[in-house]
Amino acid sequence: MNGAVATVGRDLGRILEALGGLLLVSLAVPVVWGEYFAFPALLASALVPLGIGRLLYRRYRGAESPGRFHGMIVAASGWFLVGVFGSLPFLLIAWSVRLGVPGITTPAGTSTLAAFTDPLNAVFESMSGFTGTGLTMTDNEEVLPRTLQWWRTFSEWVGGVGVIVLTTAILSRPGSGSLTLYESEARSKKIHPSIVSTVRTIWWIFALFTFASILALWLAGMPIWGAINHAMTGLATGGFSITDNSIATYDSAVIDFVLIPVMLLGSIAFPVHYLILQGDLRNFYADLQTRWVFGYMGLGSALLWAFLYYAGPYATPFAALRYGLFQFVSAATCTGFQTAVDATNVALGRWPSYAQLTVVFAMFVGGAAGSTAGGIKLIRGLTLVKGIRHQIADVFYPESAVRRLEINGRRLNEEEASREFMEAAIIVVLWISFLVIGTFLLLLVLPAGEYSLANVLFEVASAQGNVGLSAGITGPESLPTIGKVAFLFHMWIGRLEIIPVLVMLRTVFKRGGLYR
Amino acid sequence: MRVDDIPIVSTVFDAGADDRVFDSLLLVGPLVVGLIVVLGRSLFTEALAAAYIAVFVAYVLSQAVRE
Repeated sequence: MNGAVATVGRDLGRILEALGGLLLVSLAVPVVWGEYFAFPALLASALVPLGIGRLLYRRYRGAESPGRFHGMIVAASGWFLVGVFGSLPFLLIAWSVRLGVPGITTPAGTSTLAAFTDPLNAVFESMSGFTGTGLTMTDNEEVLPRTLQWWRTFSEWVGGVGVIVLTTAILSRPGSGSLTLYESEARSKKIHPSIVSTVRTIWWIFALFTFASILALWLAGMPIWGAINHAMTGLATGGFSITDNSIATYDSAVIDFVLIPVMLLGSIAFPVHYLILQGDLRNFYADLQTRWVFGYMGLGSALLWAFLYYAGPYATPFAALRYGLFQFVSAATCTGFQTAVDATNVALGRWPSYAQLTVVFAMFVGGAAGSTAGGIKLIRGLTLVKGIRHQIADVFYPESAVRRLEINGRRLNEEEASREFMEAAIIVVLWISFLVIGTFLLLLVLPAGEYSLANVLFEVASAQGNVGLSAGITGPESLPTIGKVAFLFHMWIGRLEIIPVLVMLRTVFKRGGLYR
Repeated sequence: MRVDDIPIVSTVFDAGADDRVFDSLLLVGPLVVGLIVVLGRSLFTEALAAAYIAVFVAYVLSQAVRE
């Protein structure tokens, strides 16, 4: 037990140090934008995690190397702590503006910024950022200080890299898709075997895509500050925006269509990106998940287009295509950018229920494992479908028949197939269970009759799938405190694919002596 | 003095893609964005941005042809 505490403590210390480092780097933003009132708050926000992290690291420096069990605990508790300490810039800058900073001119307060004087709202925003969700406690992002706009964006970008590293290098296990991508015999080359070199590889791919996305969005007509922020949050499939109406603010079909490939890049497994960048373009169709990223997003968008044009709120085929395609891809990649708002067309929350449920399905499935997308992940959905078909077909074969389940070019024997099918089934059952519990809870705490069941299901699926699309429920005033706490939990378990959080909670409750 | 002896360049070359073209795009990317921030939108900056994307796409395709 002591060994485990030391290992976990040491690694948590490094994570907090890294968070402090990210905040120190961000000190350039208030200087560049002349927001000097934000500087002391941001500096204090950096020094707190840096100091605690340094203490933890020094205390447990000699701890043993982590195993998979430690990896799960560190991932779950690390993400939670980063969410909590990452809230400090929101909290401290909001209070700096309210109370004033001696010797420095502070701008007039806004209700948007004032919402962050409540620590729960600040933690919500931070957790939403680091989990790549994009649900927000702001009612108008445009009036936020540039420093906070940047911190929201940066948290999603870093969280995006974090989750790729987590799934491809740390938590990879049978059925999660990432291990199969990592070890597949069908691969001509493996992504680098050590975690350190894997992290480096992911960083340069992510950075390269970010620069290309920034320039593409800018060429499409977006101002450069918007292009920087939206490229980072789009690629990280996070979905935070710096504008009041998300992407709808620009009301530009060109920008909408340029953002679609940016979001798709984020939802393809990064080991596959690595192979594609080496020139192995066959992976666009040879890799099962990548093939299905395009296949199911194409089919889903077509279905949504049909709902929105033939039976829904849009009068022209192009309008239905523009908003249907964008919103389906935004949901399925778990980005959460929104173009369907009342200011320019018809808000998502006012779409017909069947159209909203189509978007819920997209959020539920999500993108590829090993990408920044959320949801149950394509590989699990495909494993379940293939596994069920395999089990049913089994009835028609003699008992002595030796059958193998083929997934992504790998031929699994009975034991392997059973293990991967079981793992996928467990995640899906847990995912649906928490979705149902969250929906019941929200129905209980929301004002009766204000939101439909489709609205509530949509919002919970959005939080748990780390999507960030909103039917209008999430907000500093509209979402009750219990709802905010529940959404914090949904975002957290959704990002970590549930099991690491349950392992951590079991460890805390059992070893902490709460039950035996 | 060689190019990869310069501090930031050497860091990118060490921790980057092990590929001179991708490494160069990684180094040039922030400079192009910085130029756009400073100079604003003009024919020159738009051509620069378009060239960056074109080099990136063309290089990946050329890798595929070589493969």
